[in-house]
Amino acid sequence: MQVVQTDIVIVGGGGAGLRAAIAAAECDPKLRISLISKVVPMRSHTVAAEGGSAGVVQSCDSLDSHFHDTVAGGDWLCEQPVVDYFIASCTREMVQLEHWGCPWSRQEDGSINVRNFGGMTTARTWFAADKTGFHILHTLFQTSMKYPSIQRFDEFFCLDLIVDDGRCQGIVAIEIATGEFFRFEAHVVIFATGGAGRIYPCNTNAGISTGDGMGIALRHGVALRDMEFVQYHPTALAGSGLLITEGCRGEGGFLYNKDGYRYLQDYGLGPVDPSPRPKAMELGPRDKLSQAFWHEDRLGRTLDTPLGSVVHLDLRHLGRIRLHERLPMICEMAETFLGIDPAEAPIPVRPAVHYTMGGICTDGNTATSLPGFFAVGECSSVGIHGANRLGSNSLAEIVVFGKVAGEQAAQAARTSRGIDTRAVAHHAESSMEAALALFEHDSDQRIVDLRKAMQAAMEEGVGIYRTEEGMSATCRILDELVETNRRVHLDDKNRVFNTEWLTAIELGFTLDVARTMAYSAIQRKESRGAHQRLDRYEQRDDTNFLKHSLAYAVADAPPRIEYQEVVITKLPPAERVYGGQAKSQLQGE
Amino acid sequence: MTQQEINIEVLRYNPEKDSEPSYETFQVPFSHETSVLQGLQFIKDQLDGSLTFRWSCRMEICGSCGMMINGVPHLTCSAFLRDYYPGKLRIEPLSHLPIERDLAVDQTDFLQKLESIQPYIIPKETRSLEDGPFKQTPAQRERFYQFSECINCLLCYAACPQYGLDSGFLGPAAMALLHRYNSDSRDAGQAERMPIVNAQEGVWGCTLVGYCSEVCPKGVDPASAVNRNKVSSTLDYFFRFMAPRGASE
Amino acid sequence: MAARRPYVRPMAGWWRRNPFYIFYMLRESTAVFVALYALQLLYGLYMLSIGEAAFDTWLASLQHPLYLVFHTVALAAALLHAFTWFNVAPKAMPVLYLGTRRVADRTIVWVQFLFFFVISAAMIGLALGG
Ligand SMILES: Cc1cc2nc3c(=O)[nH]c(=O)nc-3n(C[C@H](O)[C@H](O)[C@H](O)COP(=O)(O)OP(=O)(O)OC[C@H]3O[C@@H](n4cnc5c(N)ncnc54)[C@H](O)[C@@H]3O)c2cc1C
Ligand code: SF4
Ligand code: FES
Repeated sequence: MQVVQTDIVIVGGGGAGLRAAIAAAECDPKLRISLISKVVPMRSHTVAAEGGSAGVVQSCDSLDSHFHDTVAGGDWLCEQPVVDYFIASCTREMVQLEHWGCPWSRQEDGSINVRNFGGMTTARTWFAADKTGFHILHTLFQTSMKYPSIQRFDEFFCLDLIVDDGRCQGIVAIEIATGEFFRFEAHVVIFATGGAGRIYPCNTNAGISTGDGMGIALRHGVALRDMEFVQYHPTALAGSGLLITEGCRGEGGFLYNKDGYRYLQDYGLGPVDPSPRPKAMELGPRDKLSQAFWHEDRLGRTLDTPLGSVVHLDLRHLGRIRLHERLPMICEMAETFLGIDPAEAPIPVRPAVHYTMGGICTDGNTATSLPGFFAVGECSSVGIHGANRLGSNSLAEIVVFGKVAGEQAAQAARTSRGIDTRAVAHHAESSMEAALALFEHDSDQRIVDLRKAMQAAMEEGVGIYRTEEGMSATCRILDELVETNRRVHLDDKNRVFNTEWLTAIELGFTLDVARTMAYSAIQRKESRGAHQRLDRYEQRDDTNFLKHSLAYAVADAPPRIEYQEVVITKLPPAERVYGGQAKSQLQGE
Repeated sequence: MTQQEINIEVLRYNPEKDSEPSYETFQVPFSHETSVLQGLQFIKDQLDGSLTFRWSCRMEICGSCGMMINGVPHLTCSAFLRDYYPGKLRIEPLSHLPIERDLAVDQTDFLQKLESIQPYIIPKETRSLEDGPFKQTPAQRERFYQFSECINCLLCYAACPQYGLDSGFLGPAAMALLHRYNSDSRDAGQAERMPIVNAQEGVWGCTLVGYCSEVCPKGVDPASAVNRNKVSSTLDYFFRFMAPRGASE
Repeated sequence: MAARRPYVRPMAGWWRRNPFYIFYMLRESTAVFVALYALQLLYGLYMLSIGEAAFDTWLASLQHPLYLVFHTVALAAALLHAFTWFNVAPKAMPVLYLGTRRVADRTIVWVQFLFFFVISAAMIGLALGG
């Protein structure tokens, strides 16, 4: 096994990991920073984000308003002091990205342009055409090359954390190109490993979003918080799940059912206006829009296609010129994947799993309960998204908290109590053996069958709407799959670039994470945000469930669920209102 | 959604066993919307789990899935099996790049080149975050934007015979990104990047085959970046010749 | 232990692998004919410097069928060369703006062709008329 001695290990080269690396390098250029990622950083999933990133800039806007939108959008399950810090830091980070070269879209006079986004009261979403995540990621990746203290380990797969003496002292990784094991001895480890959307069959996520970091943290006794909250994006392509950005609706797109009717008005999101009104109709929050689709589908008012039922996203009235200028990527995608021109035909869409609100539980400084171990980005739950994330808050999150994580890690590295090399080597050996054991056990179970069984069970039981019966069936299936996966069959017994082996390891993490979702969900006996039940618990229950769920791993058994109080400082729980009422409520405050 | 079958011939190379690559053919069912990438995933899932290739986003933006399809560089997630039927497909790793295993190539050379061009803003003026964003008009942004759309998929390297003949050549995408920063109104690093442009392995390695721009999936037009820099390289040489001492200004 | 052994494919015969490359080679080889043609013109000049008789013999020798074939091929090569260069010219020049709108590559190519035809027509007119 090869050994790398370093100060800070960052696992994940997405927006969160890169921002953390830069922050740590700027804090102290003498720190050795190892950036580990299973894909070359610019291939990370941040690249796929289209719509934009939040930051208050307009004079008519205010931090309070962004705060209100975020907390209400999250159905009050947000950590309010953390949201406060977040909101106050967004714009600064957007400016930082601008200084680093991010090609934000501009107004005629050269100042920043912003657009509307779902659940936001006014336009405060910064965008770079409809490739915002792509530009943020490449800007950060290219800027990171300026710092010699950041050493990249591209295409290294993180297998495990090394924990000894109650603190984190490094990680074990596999160099994909050789299949060799590496032990990184470090004072601090930051996980920025992204989301876990691949748990579901129809999702907008990249192949790498398998929840590895969450799974690893869980196994070391760190809690996964609020895992039952899984966001469905209302507008994805049927079949593939490829995302059609919310920016389309921000620009003024309409959703029609099969009768050509803007059905959202039937779900408390009216009134119907010809141009986009913030927080109403098509600009309502994602959970409400996805739920409305579910009802329309049950009522037989969606359109049938070979790939499943859909509704129509109509952009035709925006005109070709505007479409190509503001939504070029959507035009390209519609052309490539559907063979249609959005200026001439509506785009068939349906909800698909998009974002994991929950994740590795951290405090407002991105620190976990395990000393020396931090988590940031979509793999973490720092507390700003609550029960439902607002679009454009997560790109802002990865840079705002990426910076925090980098700075905190730099500080922690300086005060570290040192590394116990012997113990670390010992732990690394046993992780290595566990990974190699996959080559030894065998059965006739193919990875794909296990994955499909997991995905089907999750969609069935822990989807847009949930019942006790459905969720317990899912829990049972997942328990069995976890067992079967230990003996999964591998065709490929080589070590060099063995992606099948890595997929099997990933599936192990994914299954553990799926279990935390299902078990957290079944125990939340209320409906809130993205967690909606149809069995007696259709209402929000603040008396019993204005609490975060915490899922802990239990050896050879399903996860244990505990609860944590929500910190509420400014905005007491109230009803979430959208559509025409939203305006009057805001004015009443 | 009628299911048909198509033959996919794949170049395979396992460094632990093979001394050189060879072809293997698989039969893959497909429907109207099956991408070439999904065809490969079918092979990996159902027929041979050892088939090795990269992919991630499935939406032609991460740049992972570039391969040669019937000799032409493509992103496999946005190429469709229906377009090749009833013929067959021959899939190979991107040309001109060393093969790691099967369809996965070694991309480290490009990453080093990218690093060498200083792909970050070297600012004109020090500006603090409190000063807010730089002003940049849509017209100024337009001057570099196209070059910033490069997804580093390396299709252009697979299209460039000069790179295949001499991998020292900086190549299309790295040059496009160099040009992207040089053309940004916020940047003042052109002089620092000029030695890279002028070098033998810089723009002058290009003989204007032009295929790179043809295959680029994002309309970056790297050939134009390279050749515009031939103009600036010549001017740079000329001015240095005229005024050897004040050259850098 | 695991071995990483990247395989580098040979480049031999690369230009036959793709029609685009074949065309590129054709474009590059046009230079040969253009060069030969230039040499031959130089020779004509040299003959002229010797005297009128020498020049006339040279002119007469151009009537030979082999020379006619050569000239046709050289003309075709020169036209092909011009055509391909017109097409790549937009890539080799700074971006042009008309106001704030960028001049499309296609426009630049067409303008070149326009000039080419107008000037060629004028030259032919001059040669035939004069
Ligand atoms: C299609 C789409 C569109 C979106 N649009 C928007 C939007 O408009 N606005 C918005 O705010 N948000 C948007 N989001 C959400 C947002 O993009 C993500 O939440 C965010 O980019 C996550 O960034 P990250 O850095 O946490 O993780 P990622 O970018 O996912 O990076 C994860 C990193 O971890 C690495 N990694 C993971 N596991 C391992 C392992 N085992 N070993 C080594 N490395 C590992 C990966 O290689 C990768 O580098 C969108 C998401 C999707 C899917
Ligand atoms: S220039 Fe085009 S082909 Fe080359 S790497 Fe960039 S996007 Fe790919
Ligand atoms: S999979 Fe990302 S570009 Fe094809």
